[in-house]
Amino acid sequence: MGISDVIPIPVAIDEELEKWTIWGRPLTDIWFTTVEKIHEIIDMGPIKNVLNWGRKNSLWFLMQPMGCCGVEMLVFGCPPYDCDRFGIFPRGTPRQADVMIISGYITRKYLPAIKNLWEQMTEPKWVMSIGECAISGGPFYDSYNIINSVNKFFPIDVYVPGCPPRPEKFIEGFRALQEKIKQREDLRGY
Amino acid sequence: MTTANDVLNALESAFPGAIQDAKVKFERQLWATVKPDKIVDVCKYLTNNHDFDHYSGAAGVDRIDEGLFEVTEMLASHGAHQVVALLKVQTPRDKPSVKSLTGLYWNANWYEREIWEMLGINFEGHPELYPLLLTDGLMGAWPWRKDFKGYPDYTTGERAVEMLSSDGYSEYKIGPMDAEVESGAYPYEKPEYPTFREREEAEIKSESEMIFHMGPQHAVVPGPFLLDLLVDGERVRKAFLDIGYIHKGIEKIMENRTYMQGIPITDRLCYMAALSNNESYCGSVERLLGIEAPERAQYIRVITQELSRIQSHLLGTAEFLTLIASAVYSPFLYMIIDREDVLTLIESVTGARINHSFVRFGGVRNDLPDGFAEKTKPVLKMVREKTEEYKELFLSDSIYRKRMEGIGVLSPSEARRLGVSGPPLRASDTSYDMRREDPYLLYKDLDFDVITRKEGDSKARVEVRLDEILESCYIIEQCLDQIPEGSIQEKLPKRIKPEPGEAYYRVEDPRGEMGFFVVSDGSDKPVKVKARGPVYAYFQALPPLLEGVYIADVVAIAGSMDSCTSEVDR
Repeated sequence: MGISDVIPIPVAIDEELEKWTIWGRPLTDIWFTTVEKIHEIIDMGPIKNVLNWGRKNSLWFLMQPMGCCGVEMLVFGCPPYDCDRFGIFPRGTPRQADVMIISGYITRKYLPAIKNLWEQMTEPKWVMSIGECAISGGPFYDSYNIINSVNKFFPIDVYVPGCPPRPEKFIEGFRALQEKIKQREDLRGY
Repeated sequence: MTTANDVLNALESAFPGAIQDAKVKFERQLWATVKPDKIVDVCKYLTNNHDFDHYSGAAGVDRIDEGLFEVTEMLASHGAHQVVALLKVQTPRDKPSVKSLTGLYWNANWYEREIWEMLGINFEGHPELYPLLLTDGLMGAWPWRKDFKGYPDYTTGERAVEMLSSDGYSEYKIGPMDAEVESGAYPYEKPEYPTFREREEAEIKSESEMIFHMGPQHAVVPGPFLLDLLVDGERVRKAFLDIGYIHKGIEKIMENRTYMQGIPITDRLCYMAALSNNESYCGSVERLLGIEAPERAQYIRVITQELSRIQSHLLGTAEFLTLIASAVYSPFLYMIIDREDVLTLIESVTGARINHSFVRFGGVRNDLPDGFAEKTKPVLKMVREKTEEYKELFLSDSIYRKRMEGIGVLSPSEARRLGVSGPPLRASDTSYDMRREDPYLLYKDLDFDVITRKEGDSKARVEVRLDEILESCYIIEQCLDQIPEGSIQEKLPKRIKPEPGEAYYRVEDPRGEMGFFVVSDGSDKPVKVKARGPVYAYFQALPPLLEGVYIADVVAIAGSMDSCTSEVDR
């Protein structure tokens, strides 16, 4: 389909336009495009870097304290450690959050609920695993109720070890995630 | 005042033949084995004639060598005397059944439910034997039995299978699979009971009622739990609590560790009161070993535990004030800044911010650092000033008062009946503090007041917490002035093997009565560890407290309890 089918322009101009390309693609492809195609184009070009720059500097995390690390997470959001200066900000609801922090033991009973929370979050989204329990089960590795391979259920980008890690370690973990987003090396590929 | 010997003599004359190997241990504790058919009568007698009106908990022990299950009922009194009665009931292992005490003590409900789901002991006359902490998949496996083949067969991670539901959502089926159960690879008989959802929906009586979910994820409360409210318009008609979202099986794990390895696990029981949990566990093992910490170590324990109480109360109050006026974030920010200074002090002694593992059997891990007293005094002065400021700022503010005053009122008799302890009980005009009732460490020599309030509402609970911060500062100052030189650790063998026996030791957690019940069989691992936590009792008391209130007040009531879900689920 040529442009002249939609917009009343002389056929000669239409033929001329069909020869034009943008980033190696015919212009007509881009003119009659869909959302998917726009995303394809954004993925190729430098626009993606601009978007990721914005994303990495406004990582709002889901306030979902689960254990000892949850208490350190509360402190991490407060003035002594002041995560706001990196654009990191706590949110109470998954609908507004970009990053989910798994901050403790996932049990048989909690796994469906936390999976729901993950599905409620809007794209783009990332997940971090903080503390020994969320990495390998930690001190409770031999419990009958603990899931000790969380990475099987979530695409975890950053692991922060410690039992519990200090709030400074949280900052380090977020910096690592920001670097990953900037380099476009995160698991979900934004 | 009634002593344990008085109670013992009265009991033996009232029930000849029903009480076996009764003895008085650790000055104030009465231990006895009661015949199974007499337990309700004995408890009724103790309650009516000797003021044992506080049902403190129950622990189930699997004595697999003798082919027995043993249930230990713990009874105490709300201030009438200091005797703790620990009554053991034995039941055969092949058909375990014990009489329920729910008719006598309202709060026996959850303790018995827990023993039923973990050990499979039936409680005759229990009104609602439904699972409390476990999921359906584990029901009937009886994980606390000694012959439970848990790890690695039931460990979930490797066995979870993702399945798509009819709506397109992914669901997880965690082993054992139905086919495996049918083929007999995992033999168990699953008990029959209505699910949580069915129990809720059975209560819906009219068209105008609906179920309103709060949780399991909450923004500020550290730990997930599900609070389902059956609402009619704006009023809550009935509340249902579902816990166990972070049930880690701490008690079972401690059975598989040596005594020393158990200390770090007690930290993770409640990370806001890690030092009190350490103290309770170590005190219990010390009683089994028959030793006591040197005087300097006791002073260090008191100092660190009171510092820990200050930081816990600061965070608890901060959480509550944020919950009731969420748009105003300032109390949280102010109090966290102060808490950091206290945490720095604790860290300088124990080396960790929240999980300390600092207390040892017969002592502490290390001495106070140089110049600790000089560093502590300015912090205490600051905490005092700030606490006075918070009282003025928040407790006299009209908005906060409107949200707190007259909300969630617990009358003294109601509070005792529901079994709550700690600040909520003391806010209801009942002076009940383990530091006075069951004096441990140096508290009988120290000068302090037990803070009480008459109102019993949410505001009174916050006031009690803030005043206790001031009282803790006073205790620490006394200790810093009096602390003697000397050793900080009793000499003990590397591998600890206590004599066979049982011990129970209660301390005053920042949240209330915390007790550890430890059973030894002479080996280097405990047979049974039972943690009796205060928040478990708070949670059990929540549903009756929430009946008939406005939805907006639910947070103001539940938050004022200063809950810590990790300790409830264990």
